[in-house]
Amino acid sequence: MPAGGPTGGHVLRGAIRGRRRSVVAASLLGMGHQTCEALVPVIVGVIIDEAVAKGSSGTLLRLLVLLGVVFLVLSTCYRVGARITEAAGEQATHRLRLDLGARVLDPRGGADADRLPGALTSIATNDARRVGAAVTVLSYGASALAALAVSAVALLRISVPLGLLVLLGIPPLLWLGHRISGPLERRSETEQERAAHASGVAADLVDGLRVLKGMGAESAAVSRYRRTSQDSLAAALRAARSRAGHEGAVLALTGVFIAVIAVVGAYLAMRGTISVGELVAAVGLAQFLLGPFQLLTFVNAEFAQGRASARRIAEVLAAPAAVEPGGAALPDPVAGRLRLRGVTLGALRGVDLDLAPGSLTGVVTGDPAAAQDLLRCLAREADPADGVIELDGVPLTDLHPDDVRRAVLVAPHDADLFETSLLDNVRGPDTPATAVERALTASAADEVARLLPDGADGVLTERGRSLSGGQRQRVALARALAADRPVLVLHDPTTAVDTVTESRIAARLRDLRRDRTTVLVTTSPALLAVTDRVVVLDGGAVTAEGRHADLVAADPAYRAAVLA
Amino acid sequence: MSRRGTGASDTDERTDDAPIEETMSRTGPADRALLPTAGGAETWAALREMLRGHRLATVTAVGVLVAGTGIGLLTAPLLGHVVDLVVERRGTDALVVPMVLLVAVAVARGAATAVGSALVARLGETVLAALRERFVERALALPLERVEEAGSGDLVSRVTGDVSVIAKSVRQALPEFSRSAFTIVLTLVGLAVLDWRFLAAALWAVPVQVLAVRWYLRRAAPVYAEHRVATGALQHQLLDSVGGVRTVRAFRLNGPQLDLMEQRSRAAMGLALRGIHVVTGFFSRLNLAEFIGMTSVLVTGFLLVDNGAVSIGTATAAALYFHSLFNPVNAALFLLDDVQSAGASLARLVGVSGPAAAPEPDGRAAPVDGSVKVSSLDYAYVPGHPVLQDVGLEVNAGERVALVGSSGAGKTTLAKLIAGVHRPARGSVTLGGADARELGPSGVRRAVTLISQEVHVFAGPLAEDLRLARPDADDEALRAALATVGALEWAEALPDGLDTVVGEGGHRLTVTQAQHLALARLVLADPPIAILDEATADAGSAGARVLETAALKALEGRTGLLVAHRLPQAATADRIVVLDRGRVVETGTHGELVAAGGHYARLWAAWSASRPGTTADAAGVAGVAGDEG
Repeated sequence: MPAGGPTGGHVLRGAIRGRRRSVVAASLLGMGHQTCEALVPVIVGVIIDEAVAKGSSGTLLRLLVLLGVVFLVLSTCYRVGARITEAAGEQATHRLRLDLGARVLDPRGGADADRLPGALTSIATNDARRVGAAVTVLSYGASALAALAVSAVALLRISVPLGLLVLLGIPPLLWLGHRISGPLERRSETEQERAAHASGVAADLVDGLRVLKGMGAESAAVSRYRRTSQDSLAAALRAARSRAGHEGAVLALTGVFIAVIAVVGAYLAMRGTISVGELVAAVGLAQFLLGPFQLLTFVNAEFAQGRASARRIAEVLAAPAAVEPGGAALPDPVAGRLRLRGVTLGALRGVDLDLAPGSLTGVVTGDPAAAQDLLRCLAREADPADGVIELDGVPLTDLHPDDVRRAVLVAPHDADLFETSLLDNVRGPDTPATAVERALTASAADEVARLLPDGADGVLTERGRSLSGGQRQRVALARALAADRPVLVLHDPTTAVDTVTESRIAARLRDLRRDRTTVLVTTSPALLAVTDRVVVLDGGAVTAEGRHADLVAADPAYRAAVLA
Repeated sequence: MSRRGTGASDTDERTDDAPIEETMSRTGPADRALLPTAGGAETWAALREMLRGHRLATVTAVGVLVAGTGIGLLTAPLLGHVVDLVVERRGTDALVVPMVLLVAVAVARGAATAVGSALVARLGETVLAALRERFVERALALPLERVEEAGSGDLVSRVTGDVSVIAKSVRQALPEFSRSAFTIVLTLVGLAVLDWRFLAAALWAVPVQVLAVRWYLRRAAPVYAEHRVATGALQHQLLDSVGGVRTVRAFRLNGPQLDLMEQRSRAAMGLALRGIHVVTGFFSRLNLAEFIGMTSVLVTGFLLVDNGAVSIGTATAAALYFHSLFNPVNAALFLLDDVQSAGASLARLVGVSGPAAAPEPDGRAAPVDGSVKVSSLDYAYVPGHPVLQDVGLEVNAGERVALVGSSGAGKTTLAKLIAGVHRPARGSVTLGGADARELGPSGVRRAVTLISQEVHVFAGPLAEDLRLARPDADDEALRAALATVGALEWAEALPDGLDTVVGEGGHRLTVTQAQHLALARLVLADPPIAILDEATADAGSAGARVLETAALKALEGRTGLLVAHRLPQAATADRIVVLDRGRVVETGTHGELVAAGGHYARLWAAWSASRPGTTADAAGVAGVAGDEG
């Protein structure tokens, strides 16, 4: 657990405190509801006693009106209370989701390290929901306690020994039930795991249907699924047997318990200690009381889950930032001069590099890790372990990461497109329309738009996977160009684009970025041919530099790296 | 009455757990021709057919559950008898018999419920397993064209979402629903046995219940459906934003992305609250029914005791009976909604698993070698927009032919037609001398393997992924295949070697490694004809070269058709076929085409121009690579 950040307890308490009023109101209403539920069998008992046994129709009428009032209060309290408490849970969930989203997307980064998008999404949905559920069940817990209290008072007023028998008898009864359900929980977990696994295998096979069909492996796939399905069936049957056994045992225990209460009550009634109606009420209350006790068990379980989920949420919220913001201000305007001195991180071993404002530089490296680390440093996703990177003379570490990205745009090779229209992907929040137009043309993404059924307004489904690799790259490139940052770093922007288009893009790119600093990390000769200068990174440091044509002519290793 | 207390959160759970995939397909383009959904009669027929083999099990399960419920109902009259004993001032000794009977009833009821529930679960789970297996089998056998038409999301949502909706019903709703239903029916019978007028009194609650259920189902279904869509959209948005976090930060899109998240989250929350509103309204209405029924039973008891028709004990038993109906009635009516959605899901499964696959031809036709002949082929995805027109192509067994052309020229479509993924609108495809139509889908797939740009690593151990191509392959064969394509080194360096769990949720392979695996699968499947569709495009510049070498190895000894955009790769082929706007415009060797000065020569010139003074050199490299192959 990282120091300084919120803990699971903080998260859970914070969620509850944020909904304090709702929780209190819902608890009061819930208590009203449960009290009335407890009163129903009591009133039925009184009706039997006072009206039915004595044959008094006036009493019957009065008591029925009373029963009606109880039902009205019960129903209203339930409806209003449940709505308040469920809304509180939903709102707490919503708040947590947004907090998590803000933390993950924070410019300082850090929360997404070592966590897959699926895992983070699951925390923001499932764990946030469980914490919300813990907020929701608080009032149910309060109302169950109220019901217990009311029933206890009613029972003890009827008869102290009978009341004590019921109140002291129920906890061991529930404990026994809980003991029996121990293996059940484990088996249910296995059952769910297996079912999820089978479902995952099926989805995975359908996802890879094209590949399966491509190699004619359908029947092999079906038998693989059948195996996991049978596994899942076996686990489900084990769990079902446990569940059935548990249900049966609880029913039997409850039945025996009620029998004991009834007979003891009848004994007391025969001795004249209690009336017949009180006997009926006692039996009814004993039956009723199992409900609140079960509710408490449920609340307890939900709370335990909520605590575990709050811990996972806290871990994300408390994740240390990948880079800390500095106090310096971004130069205005940004000239776009980059200076790297002895930059060391991962595969980089002391990189020295000067990029003049407005220059177009190629960076060639055979080591993908070195390229990645260089990009991460320039984007301030990470800071160099040693050495310094300066933008117009200001070290990047002195700037806020968001300010760095205001000036420097690093476009990764595997750029992610968003599930919106092609145009909205390219257009940033404040991009002028002309810049979008020019960027689309320069990257040949306008041709992509023309091929889409709805043109540039067509929504890209599944994060651009409706496009081919080359089309995706062109749209991503258009987006990078449209942002029009003083410094632009592009990583392998055209690997899936055909040769003719690539040459055209290279020429237009040079033209579009004429007075801006641009870095191309690539081995594509078409792109390198338009650069002013090429820098070769080998073994994590700069080993050669010069014009592309000169390097091709003079350096056999360079030739091998870029021409094949 | 915990059912009420937790009822609303149950709904919450249900709607939030709704599968995302389901919603994804629904949020997709609306004009898509979704896969078929079965009608009511068809679904019933399928359900009956599935239960047919389990008739004995069904009867036993129902019988045991009914017996258990029936025994349980003896509790109330026994308690009533105890009350009578008290009223009649019998001695305490008289309590022994009812006491023993009450305990016996409790134990017998517990035992019968345990056995009955287990039997119902066994029946439900067994039928469910058979259903999902049959469904997956049929789903994987669907023609790819049909699946793509509907969007693969539709199929994925059925295979995961609908299967789990039914499973949840079978596991949770079915036992509770059947128990509640039996309890209700038998309690009503019990009331009638006490005195038929008690039954008549209890039935006063029914009209209110019917109205409440109609009110609920009408409102709940659309709210739940919308909520599922909204949570799907939310989940999707989270994956989109979180998955693209680097892009979000690079382009400083945190603000807009958070706004989107907030919108989606708020929409999902709003719908959840509407759902809760409906559920709470429903239970409130059921409260009214409870009051009406209770009052009417009490008044009836009063009148019947008054005129001496029944004892006070009987009236007590009737009141207790009715009070004990509260929970099962609430549960059964609430579960109607689950039953309804399980029915809808079942219809979607039956819709796909119903129609048998297209009959395979008699299997007499078989390819004699690896030759491919395509003649006068036409194809259009959208009528009126032909992608291929009058395409003819002949490839000899063992020949390696490169398909070249700019984006949209129809290379991929031609590859898919030859591989039998699409069926031509006109013209024919002949594989090894046999017409593709006579070979049938499985015959075509035995003859041709297509490796496309889309990579998929199947979740599970790496060895299992490879065995999909040849299920009986031993570890040695797997290693040999990996070695052939040069992937053995990295595969053995994985944490658990070939047993490393890869794919979704496992060890993440790079694009290059994934394509390497695809080539290894090709070697294992060992078809006479292989088509590689830009199989090296996404791997980045360094990976592309590794894969090109691997592809050459994998193609050894078979006919190879390569869709290539890296010209050096095309240059190594025996022959190059140039496509432009759906037509074959040139064909010949690299040298011939460069000399001819046509379309290909222009492409080659563009490629060479970016490599100053190295045209001859590059051709030399190509030549060397060709010698290797």
